Amino acid sequence: MTRTYTPWFLLAVALGLAAIYLFPVYWMYVTSVKSGSEIFSNPPTFWPADPNIGVFGDVWARRAMPTYLWNSVVIAGGVTAITVVLGTGCAYVLARYRNVWIDIGLFCVLMLQVLPASVMVTPLFVGFNQIGLLNYPRTAVVLAAAAKAMPFFVVLVRATFMSVPRELEESALVDGNSRVGAFFSIVLPLARNGILVCAILTFMSAFGEYIYSKSIIQSPVLQPASVGLSGFLGPNSTDWNSIMAYSAIYVTPILAIFVILQRRIVAGLTSGALK
Amino acid sequence: MRFLNALRDGVGFDILLVGAALLFLVALAGAPLVYNVLMSFQQVDMFTLGALFRPFVGFDNYVAVVRQPEFWLVTRNTLIFVFGSMTGQFVLGFALALFFAQNFPGAATIRGLFLVSWVMPGLVVGGIWSLILAGDYGVLNVILRSLGIIQANVFWKSDPAFSIWAVVIANIWLGLAFNMLLLSVGLAAIPRDLYEAAELDGANAFQRFWTITLPMMRPTIGAVLSLGLIGTLQQFDLFPALTEGGPANTSNVAGFWSWQLSFQLYDFAKGATVSVMMFLLVLFASVIYVRSTRHEVRG
Amino acid sequence: MSAEPQIELIGIDKYYGSFHALKDINLTIPKGQFVALVGPSGCGKSTLLRSLAGLENISGGTMKIAGALMNGVPPRKRDVAMVFQSYALYPHMTVEQNLTYSLRLKGVPKEEMRRATEEVARTIGLDNLLHRYPRELSGGQRQRVAMGRAIIRHPKAFLFDEPLSNLDAALRVHMRKEIRALHDRLGATSVYVTHDQIEAMTMADHVVVMRDGVIEQQGSPLDLYDRPATRFVAGFIGSPAMNFIPARIGPDGASTVFDRPDIRSLPIGKKLDPGREVIVGLRPEHIAVGAADGAGMTLKVAVVESTGSLTYLTTEEPLQLTIVMTGRTELAPGDAVQVSVPSAHVHIFDAETERAL
Repeated sequence: MTRTYTPWFLLAVALGLAAIYLFPVYWMYVTSVKSGSEIFSNPPTFWPADPNIGVFGDVWARRAMPTYLWNSVVIAGGVTAITVVLGTGCAYVLARYRNVWIDIGLFCVLMLQVLPASVMVTPLFVGFNQIGLLNYPRTAVVLAAAAKAMPFFVVLVRATFMSVPRELEESALVDGNSRVGAFFSIVLPLARNGILVCAILTFMSAFGEYIYSKSIIQSPVLQPASVGLSGFLGPNSTDWNSIMAYSAIYVTPILAIFVILQRRIVAGLTSGALK
Repeated sequence: MRFLNALRDGVGFDILLVGAALLFLVALAGAPLVYNVLMSFQQVDMFTLGALFRPFVGFDNYVAVVRQPEFWLVTRNTLIFVFGSMTGQFVLGFALALFFAQNFPGAATIRGLFLVSWVMPGLVVGGIWSLILAGDYGVLNVILRSLGIIQANVFWKSDPAFSIWAVVIANIWLGLAFNMLLLSVGLAAIPRDLYEAAELDGANAFQRFWTITLPMMRPTIGAVLSLGLIGTLQQFDLFPALTEGGPANTSNVAGFWSWQLSFQLYDFAKGATVSVMMFLLVLFASVIYVRSTRHEVRG
Repeated sequence: MSAEPQIELIGIDKYYGSFHALKDINLTIPKGQFVALVGPSGCGKSTLLRSLAGLENISGGTMKIAGALMNGVPPRKRDVAMVFQSYALYPHMTVEQNLTYSLRLKGVPKEEMRRATEEVARTIGLDNLLHRYPRELSGGQRQRVAMGRAIIRHPKAFLFDEPLSNLDAALRVHMRKEIRALHDRLGATSVYVTHDQIEAMTMADHVVVMRDGVIEQQGSPLDLYDRPATRFVAGFIGSPAMNFIPARIGPDGASTVFDRPDIRSLPIGKKLDPGREVIVGLRPEHIAVGAADGAGMTLKVAVVESTGSLTYLTTEEPLQLTIVMTGRTELAPGDAVQVSVPSAHVHIFDAETERAL
């Protein structure tokens, strides 16, 4: 008897846990449409009494969000492009061979994966300053963030390549293809999904990049949305409905992509993250 | 000609692929790292910022950093932040992973939704938690009061006794889902028949957890803990959004302090020095990480 | 069979780091021959095959295919076809695309390609599967596609890397015949790697037995069966495996003396130095039960197993022998049997070198 009830009971518990866990996201959306006085009311309202949708358009225009978001897209796009182009080849080679050089290479990549951005930002800033890259601040951020994103990408994509049987490539070689040809016509198409998932993850994390942009980009017209948000967000912020409206506009595209591709992203992560 | 042939058919192709990426990483990660160490032994100020050769000062920067009044406070906070976050992320993550390892409709989908926290920009997460943790109107205080856990409002962000914990709470939320996912992968890899065999041998659920789940999960747990350590040390965005290290550095940690020294006080030498110290800590963590994933890396 | 060599291997050496995987391999394969490389796993047979394909670089020696030097030549310029154990069908291509992959790389005209595809599809019986993907095929069908992909090219040589080991037993026996028939029809030159000696014996014109990177013996299948050069080959070829008994040559030089006084000596049909330490090899199917010539020995039956057509006897200590009898027997465990072996079927190996004497 219990057998038939248990799954539905567990489902209910799971939904409850998810609701608790995702409450902050809900709170962001709810707060954004509340009026100023409702935000500070005690006890708080869990459903807005008088939703004010106009706040989105207002914040969008007043906070120059199109410029900020465009910069975020440019930076994230640049980071993703560099990471995918350079990282894919590297991951492929690291997956294909097994010898002491590969172990050393892999060790280096793993080591770079752990470097905190806050450790790297000081020398990068001073170094970029010396070679004049600070005059092209978005390019500088793209380069710095790509170096940050690449190790994680390589580790994940390598796992994808390892799931492509070596024999397929060898068969292509015997069938008359070159290494280059076999890579593009056999290996890449078969690893495409994994690479795509990792590229999306790279884009998402670069879209939220903050520390490099904050430190390197001085001009507001070139700053990404994260820096734009930090301009009116701090320990003593009170303008909560603008902040939350800004945040909601900022993260909704990411959340939408994530929810749509959730299955694939999780599958890509679980096959690669630890193996 | 020979070169082109090697590129098409031989190891030249591999060397080109891996070489391009490694060159890039060496230029933008390896070199800055070395440069950072170099700067920590130099005198760097606004006048010498653009210069290639600066006066060497030996260990002066290190001595100065340790003598800073906030040094030990920051060290203490860093440890609280790292171990508090890791413990919270791991324990809650493991509990959720065990829960979602059970077979019920929608388990994988609902579990996947948890990862929403992981893909959100850290600054936004910090902003949301700043609102939730607010002293007089924060929703967390309301909930805790109505549950009877606290009597008076806790000023999470501005009370020196709690400010670091405010960041810890936000960071646990941020990293919990990823921990859970990795642990779920480990749990899924344990063969079902081991549990069936143990059940036939008369082990109850608790005994099965201790004698099968935990030992089989050892490599995963090692990797998750070290990744948690690394991820926590990398956390930066929550600080500017939540407390800016305040009040009076009671929630400041090494990463944020280093950035403040460099980019708010323009004392790049001290910023570099703190980040070198932090790098040593990361190095220690990553050695554990690499050791715990070594066989998986090879496998 | 023409004598013109299609594949020539002279003094091939292959190292993996310090591991010597292939040691001075010499092998000449005439055009049209079917050669089987057989041996236990790790003996180097697959490495040798992959070196022929160009997937491994050899460390020393000379390798020629159709007279052309192949050292350092990339796989695509060797014009050989390979059938992999896992079939290695491209999962993102249909059967037709899989078949024509090599032709497309060569830039063969569309019309010609279509004709070749139809012909091959008919040959291997895949006409109605051309637009399926590999994942929609059964194991046997996949195997056929892998074969088709090889024959469509009319290559200089076919290389098979244990192509039947993923099939069930019945299909395996069937495909054995089919591959051999195909080989004969195409007049191809084939190198076939297997760990299954029955496959090697039934399919090949020429069998090469390898062990630890060395060719132990090569020759026609029956040659290997009748005149194994070493104890290893003798034990590897034939099923069930040959019985081996340590012994010494008797004072007359023409018979063996066993260490156990209760076993009678065995005439060996040749003259050897008296007192020499040897190993006697007796094939289970050559041991006659109930011999009347009086030269036999009396042993006790321990186990009787019958397949219906054949009966396997295992005798008790002091001399544990496996014996194969045709038909059935009334014998039961514990019974005494008279066994004998004609001297022509007694194999003698040196105890030290394990070479045949």
